[in-house]
Amino acid sequence: MEQYDLELAKAVAEIKKVKAKVVCVQLPDGLKPLANKIEEELSRKTNARILFWLGSNFGACDIPSGLNRLGVDLMICWGHAKFHKQIEGW
Amino acid sequence: MRVLFLEAPYKHKAELGHEVLTYIISKKYKTIGLYMAVQFVESLDRIKKQLKEVGVAVVTSTPLRSQHKGQLLGCDVFSGNLQIKEEERREIDAYMYIGDGKFHPNALLYGQKDLHVDELREVICYDPISAKINVIRVEDIRGVLKRYRGALLKFLGAKRIGVISSLKPGQEFVKVSMMLEKKFPDKKFYFFVDESISFNQLENYNFIDLWVNTACPRIGFDDTEWFSKGIINLNDAFLVEEILSKNSVLNQV
Repeated sequence: MEQYDLELAKAVAEIKKVKAKVVCVQLPDGLKPLANKIEEELSRKTNARILFWLGSNFGACDIPSGLNRLGVDLMICWGHAKFHKQIEGW
Repeated sequence: MRVLFLEAPYKHKAELGHEVLTYIISKKYKTIGLYMAVQFVESLDRIKKQLKEVGVAVVTSTPLRSQHKGQLLGCDVFSGNLQIKEEERREIDAYMYIGDGKFHPNALLYGQKDLHVDELREVICYDPISAKINVIRVEDIRGVLKRYRGALLKFLGAKRIGVISSLKPGQEFVKVSMMLEKKFPDKKFYFFVDESISFNQLENYNFIDLWVNTACPRIGFDDTEWFSKGIINLNDAFLVEEILSKNSVLNQV
């Protein structure tokens, strides 16, 4: 995983920019073992509460629903680019 | 809720190794359809240049749902998803995928299922980190395609269809799926919603003759073992008669 840039500075900047108090982090399987390090870095550099999505992260289409109920202000999805959904189907 | 995507790009310069270039040259390929995982898209121009230096032209594109040129998604499984012109597609001798695993490059195979057998192209998978090459061909998905074709045939006569939709915003196509009722007035459609699909719940709905998947299209191919009644993807349900009438890879497996 050290071959990939985690872009943690971007994550910190975005949390500060939107003044997020609760952040949910969604990691692909390869990055899940680094969740503790990510939590440590984001917590140390922001005051946000960091939650982790336990389940899948198959793609940018795989953003979970219902996180608003937990007061999540920002979702950070690692490993994928913005997804351009076609509303008429695939 | 705001969503930030962090692509976790590859830190280094991705390049084609000697082995993969030798393979392409040995096959006398003149044009490669080049796609990659998002982590490697910054290396697209470098890899294109490498191929050009050995006399190989590159066709690539920004697929329908992708953010970047050359970025392949696992859902690029339908003809036309890559958004390349027909005349360009015909020039391609083989596809190349830069990244690891089989999930993404298999999409390039599934995307050719409705083409004529003579138009089928292999997919050269190259992992620039391990410098390993792996070539996948239709033989690798033959079993999946056989089951899929069987499910399409079954759909024609099925009366009670279970339509599965996901609540995930990127995979939710409930309204579109309800258009099936107009297209097939002789069938009864039952609509099911879930977050991630609960495969172990399917058997409880034992009156269903066949399932139609509207969530991730890879479920229709890669997870068929969960669907004892058979499953097809929504797009193919709408086009079932056309698909089955073609002289295609799918109909010859």
